[in-house]
Amino acid sequence: MLRLGAVVVPFRWRPVVVALVLFVLLCLAVVISLSLGTPYVAPVDVVRSLSGAGTPYDLVVRDLRLPRAVLAAVAGAAFGVAGTLIQSVARNPLASPDVIGVTQGAGLAATIALTSGAAAVLVAPAALLGGLAAAVVVFALGARHGLAAQRFVLAGVAVAFAFRALIEVVMLTADPIDGLRAQIWLIGTLAGKGWSEAAWIAGTLAVLLPVLLWAGWALRSSTLDDDTARGIGLRPVARRIGLAGTGVLAAAMVTAQVGAVDFVALVAPQVARRLVRAERPPLLCAALLGALLLVLADLGARRLLAPTQLPAGVLTAAIGGPYLIFVLLRTRGRRS
Amino acid sequence: MTALLSTRDLVVGYEGRTVLDGLDLDLPADTFTVIVGPNACGKSTLLRTMARLLTPRRGAVLLDGAAIRDLPTRDVARRLGVLPQSPLVPEGITVADLVGRGRQPYQRWWRQWSAEDGRAVEEAMRLADVGALADRAVDTLSGGQRQRVWIAMTLAQDTDALLLDEPTTFLDLAHQVEVLDLLHRLRAERGRTVVAVLHDLNQAARYAGHLIAMRDGAVVAAGKPREILTADLVRDVFGLDCVVVPCPVSGAPLVVPALTQTGSTQTGSTQAGRTQTGSTQTSAVPAVTPAPAGAPVGDA
Repeated sequence: MLRLGAVVVPFRWRPVVVALVLFVLLCLAVVISLSLGTPYVAPVDVVRSLSGAGTPYDLVVRDLRLPRAVLAAVAGAAFGVAGTLIQSVARNPLASPDVIGVTQGAGLAATIALTSGAAAVLVAPAALLGGLAAAVVVFALGARHGLAAQRFVLAGVAVAFAFRALIEVVMLTADPIDGLRAQIWLIGTLAGKGWSEAAWIAGTLAVLLPVLLWAGWALRSSTLDDDTARGIGLRPVARRIGLAGTGVLAAAMVTAQVGAVDFVALVAPQVARRLVRAERPPLLCAALLGALLLVLADLGARRLLAPTQLPAGVLTAAIGGPYLIFVLLRTRGRRS
Repeated sequence: MTALLSTRDLVVGYEGRTVLDGLDLDLPADTFTVIVGPNACGKSTLLRTMARLLTPRRGAVLLDGAAIRDLPTRDVARRLGVLPQSPLVPEGITVADLVGRGRQPYQRWWRQWSAEDGRAVEEAMRLADVGALADRAVDTLSGGQRQRVWIAMTLAQDTDALLLDEPTTFLDLAHQVEVLDLLHRLRAERGRTVVAVLHDLNQAARYAGHLIAMRDGAVVAAGKPREILTADLVRDVFGLDCVVVPCPVSGAPLVVPALTQTGSTQTGSTQAGRTQTGSTQTSAVPAVTPAPAGAPVGDA
């Protein structure tokens, strides 16, 4: 048991150790990400520059690389949070923002904005609204039966397909150059982005923080069936809508800022769950792992084919594919 | 006999079909009540409505005289425990963890555990005899152990009343008896009000202090098993011809189905079967020894 004043929380060592290790790894990954590139900056100089000692590398480290690394960490954390919440409500380890249509809704709005000649500053707000609009449709279709897991996922898949078809229509009728820009947005990239995008995502997470503290607790009962949950005095439908709504907000905001970076929201919660050995994904560890994954993915995207820059979404997809195969093999192995 | 749970003019239905139509019922406190009836007679619907898992179209369920719908669900959960028919076991959850979920109505996100929670969980696991399994994963347990774990979870809720929907279905006979003995002890030693839907009439007759027989959404008879359980009632409720004799072990009424045409040709005792079919008199049956002391018998 852990007591902080009136707060009493069941205390287990494993999640705390995992969280600390992930945090250390995240810090290391950020330092490495700030260090690699042209010019190369020694990690020692990175740390000195960050601590404000004043080095010749301040411009490269603090102004050019740091904003993007911080954005990667913040966006990865938001993906981890969104994935955890959505997977818990969907009761499906393969659910993620793109399975329930949020990504496609954001993508359609962003594609329209990018190909219609709208001002660049309008792309992110349009994507945010598009993602939320898709979520509203999914909720409306799924909520009639208490947002039950299967109905929620089916509604999401249907909406995702419909929006994807609309994206194709817009792309095919658009100017090829605009279409290419939209294509890169859809894959998801952190290139040319930084503080302002990171601030939007971090701000959203900060506003959602009280809800997330509640969610970390409410997720505990998300593995119970509705009858059992009602029996112990819970209102499962209200909980699901609250949890899914929070996840959708986080997903729509981060997708609007960095594009449809695949797989982080899918992989982070499940790997974190296995690391912690819990029966459901742990929120904090999933956020830290998401941050770590996206920082590494963006580092790879910057450096693997340098000077050509890959969209980070290509790298996360490259990690996510083998991960899915791994999950499938593990599932079959356990049942046989 | 005071009623802990009552229904008043209860109307419950599913899309287009009315299952219970204006049901008035009082369930006595401090009693093991068993509800029996043929499939689709509305017994599970009644139990689930009393447990607030279903919302009635009309009428009310009263808990200690107050309409359950008007009470905060958390408060109800401190007074009324529910075990649904086939609850879903969260993957990989341990016994102690699952039993601990029963403390939910006493917890808040800023106060997730208390010493009282610990005591209640320990006590519940001891009562249900699952203490030795505390660290095992529930999905690796046998059906009987699993059912005791679920009952332990509802016990950790520390409620006056416990509603169970067919708690013995899917269990073998030994485990059925184990679960029923546990429910009997809860009533006898802890003064809990226990209400269960059961399929087996003889188990119902043996363990129930108050028996409710339902058919087509209505209560056909209610009372002590020895007073109401007759061959006429069984024919009326289940459409089954039978003989009712005193149970040689407990003395409770024992329902023995009469021989059917098929059965008679196989056994060749057509005559005996026919003559007793539908008979309410049990005197033709040899006298039986009374129940051994300590055997669980329905409350007199």
